Amino acid sequence: MSRCSQLGIALFLTTALAVAQNLQEFEKRVTEFTLDNGLHFIVLERHEAPVVSFHTFVNAGSVDDPEGKTGLAHIFEHMAFKGTPDIGSTNWPEEKKALAAVEQIYDRVEGERRKRFKADPAKLEALENELKAAIEKANSFVVPNLYPTLIEENGGVGLNAGTELDSTEYFYNLPANRAELWFLLESQRFLHPVFREFYKERDVVLEERRMRIESSPQGKLMETLLATSFAAHPYQRMPGGWASDITSLRVKDAEAFYKTYYTPANIAIAIVGDIDPKQARALAERYFGRLPAAPLPPLVHTVEPPQEGPKQTQVETPSQPLAFIAYKRPDQYDKDDAALDVMSSLLAGGRTGILYKEMVRDQQIAVAVGAEGTFPGGKYPNLFLFFVAPSLGHTIDENVKVMDGILDRFKAEVVDPQALARVKTKSRAELVRRLDSNSGLAQLLNSYYVNYGNWRRLFTELDETDKVTAQDVQRVARQYLTPKNRTAAYTIQPATAPVEARQ
Amino acid sequence: MKRLMLLVALVAAILSAQEGAASYKNLKYPPLRPVKIPEVATFTLPNGMKLYLLENHELPLVRGVALVRTGNLFDPADKVGLATITGMVMRSGGTAAKTGDELDEALENIAASVETGIQETYGSATFSALQQNASEVLTTFRDVLTSPEFRQDKIDLAKTELRSGISRRNDDPHGISEREFIERVYGHDTPYGWRIEYATLDRITRADLRAFYRRYFFPANVMLAVQGDFSIPAMKAELEKLFAGWTTQQPPVPAFPPVKTKAAPGVFLAVKTDVTQTFFDLGHLGGVFRDKDYPALEVMADILGGGFRSRLFQRVRTKLGYAYSVSAAWGANFDHPGLFQISGSTKSGSTTETIQVIREEVEKMRTEEVTDEELTSAKESVANSFVFNFDRPSKTLNRILFYDYYGYPKDFINQYLAGIQKVTKADVLRVAREHLAPKDFTLTAVGNPPEFGKPLTALGTVTPIDLSIPEPAGGAQKP
Repeated sequence: MSRCSQLGIALFLTTALAVAQNLQEFEKRVTEFTLDNGLHFIVLERHEAPVVSFHTFVNAGSVDDPEGKTGLAHIFEHMAFKGTPDIGSTNWPEEKKALAAVEQIYDRVEGERRKRFKADPAKLEALENELKAAIEKANSFVVPNLYPTLIEENGGVGLNAGTELDSTEYFYNLPANRAELWFLLESQRFLHPVFREFYKERDVVLEERRMRIESSPQGKLMETLLATSFAAHPYQRMPGGWASDITSLRVKDAEAFYKTYYTPANIAIAIVGDIDPKQARALAERYFGRLPAAPLPPLVHTVEPPQEGPKQTQVETPSQPLAFIAYKRPDQYDKDDAALDVMSSLLAGGRTGILYKEMVRDQQIAVAVGAEGTFPGGKYPNLFLFFVAPSLGHTIDENVKVMDGILDRFKAEVVDPQALARVKTKSRAELVRRLDSNSGLAQLLNSYYVNYGNWRRLFTELDETDKVTAQDVQRVARQYLTPKNRTAAYTIQPATAPVEARQ
Repeated sequence: MKRLMLLVALVAAILSAQEGAASYKNLKYPPLRPVKIPEVATFTLPNGMKLYLLENHELPLVRGVALVRTGNLFDPADKVGLATITGMVMRSGGTAAKTGDELDEALENIAASVETGIQETYGSATFSALQQNASEVLTTFRDVLTSPEFRQDKIDLAKTELRSGISRRNDDPHGISEREFIERVYGHDTPYGWRIEYATLDRITRADLRAFYRRYFFPANVMLAVQGDFSIPAMKAELEKLFAGWTTQQPPVPAFPPVKTKAAPGVFLAVKTDVTQTFFDLGHLGGVFRDKDYPALEVMADILGGGFRSRLFQRVRTKLGYAYSVSAAWGANFDHPGLFQISGSTKSGSTTETIQVIREEVEKMRTEEVTDEELTSAKESVANSFVFNFDRPSKTLNRILFYDYYGYPKDFINQYLAGIQKVTKADVLRVAREHLAPKDFTLTAVGNPPEFGKPLTALGTVTPIDLSIPEPAGGAQKP
């Protein structure tokens, strides 16, 4: 045994010890409880500073958008900032009536639109004007953005939410003395959401889509990759949904989504910071106990059928070249999950990743190369994704050829034991480095609880990483990185019109 | 009938009382427990290097940052990029003892890192190590800081990366608008506004890197902050020993070049046909933190475009649905004026209207007092979130380090809080009048003009932005 690998093992043992101590330490400071309605809480005490982080994890995301109504999970997330009857209205009874009137008129507008070519344009125009007026009336009762304003005025920081394909998450931090405000606000937005300013928010959501996807070469390429790679499973779309679906979303759609997916047993909450768990529990019972119990939402039953051959797609853009290459892989519960993670770290982690060393550092044909072991979500079979940005004067084809050669070699040879040990050491150290942020911890504990049923997996997952052998890595590389499993998406320069056409 | 009305009123009162129990209006908060402000020990080594040490035993980690008084403001005009490359290759080019590639392996084997970089007004070298490897990593850190080798192959690699960056600089519309805004406001021909080009990169040699390094990297010009799982006396002794042999001397580093204060008003448009939104930035020079008006300017900018409750967010996003992202900030720096900058993006068709609405809101800030509610809200937000400046020991350490670097008093953050609490409505109006000059606004926009609907010329004469990338004298770039 060389000196290096002895050192590697010694180091590995000490970091393993550190992680085990962390788990024991966490066991002492974590309190978990589930309310009668099924809502689960994880409270981690960290009394270093008088602040608290809150994280709400809803086990539903854009994969749960109904067909033809993509973007629903995302727009509900936006509506969750619009307030409640008590928060954000100058006159709730009148506002409520006005909101109901909007829906009635909208039904009539839709009724007329459905006649298509038989629709009466004059009638449609009149109805649309009526709808505009009704929306304006409803908006006249709104105190805009009062809900987030209350959080900001009370010293809340890091206020945001995110809709992913697998989940929707809401989070912010408060000074510890104002913790009760979170219990009140968070419970009320999921107890009495008000769908005010819904139709204006559709425009905002469309602007978000234009910004993130339509005006970004990378966004367009990603959207095209997913749409090409997945034939049936909802991982085929970006979390925000399709523009034309968004423009047709209605309040009743969002209400139905909320009633189905925002049930207490489908939500978990993590609280990390300077808080007394007994007090947290009392507040949780008082504020969240009122949420009515309801059945768990349906699971996505569409299973992506096996891919029958390589897929290739292109996106025209005048920008510099970018490429995504993706291979189908099983979900995060599969026995190969740990080996796939290790493979991604071996290939593209840090400055010692094999792809970085060969393509960026030595051959200088790429300025960036990356790998994502699990994409765009992990709950369902997904993609092992590679990303390449060629350096100036080099092409995608040249890069892909080199990358394929490296991957062929990776499949042919067993990986160097020192590289494998390094990856394992790095994943332990990475965990230690993630343990010093309240908000980061709240997200992690919640995510592991919801995805695996136990927050401890944040620590114990490393045991599975440790068991991965060089042979495992070789086996998964051979099994999954196959032409049949592959989807490649490249940017290309726009085709220029023939000279005659321009005259 | 009357009795019925009374009954209805009574029931309503009872109901609202019940709801009231759960209303945010009735919440009472205990006072906040005082924060523990950690002790930072400071020392000066015999060679002039300053140390800032902070014990933090929560995790088995040791981390550090050395600040070096230098910056890319010191680039020669014909070699823009020199500081940036020096910062990159200091680490990647290895030390006398080890190549950069050997460092990569050695550090990653123990899950550690050492990184270097040179920004506008400072250079930095950082490290992070698990506690049991701290000594080994500190030695590497010392070697990188005191004896970088600047090997030629890594200079070539850095140039390849930077050249590719130049070739890609027109791919992201948001990036284009922001870049053009910054460069125009500070001036293309000043160190604050010039940019790295193929030609300036081509002129940079290894000898330039070594000379730049020698001029600025000497002990009396370095402030080193280390925090983590160690005891201060032991760490002090270790650092003393480690840096004892580093005795290089250089004359003190001069001040950074001043910012020219000439405005660059106008409407500047870059055409991108592959976008559905227009990305825009408008504003002019901002100020410095120590300006007596800074707290009032912060409040003013916060009310205009700070958070969910700001006027721009309320009007452009919530009421009009014209944008997902819109914001304003009174940009300030420690040592030179930052930028007063309003940024956003909107669908092509509402480009001109959105910017007009924003200009109206700026005008309102200059002509009318803000409301009591707005002022209170802005002040409460700063006061109540103040604790987050102290929620991690590392924040205190970094603050002390940067205050010292830029010559600010240790308690500047408390002075800032006190300043915010004194701001009045009259102050907000006064600073808006004195410091916001819409006629001087530089507006940069990146989008697809045929889709604009109302043309941008409604805002003034439109000057096109040339996005072509100048080739070096030698012609087209080779890989």
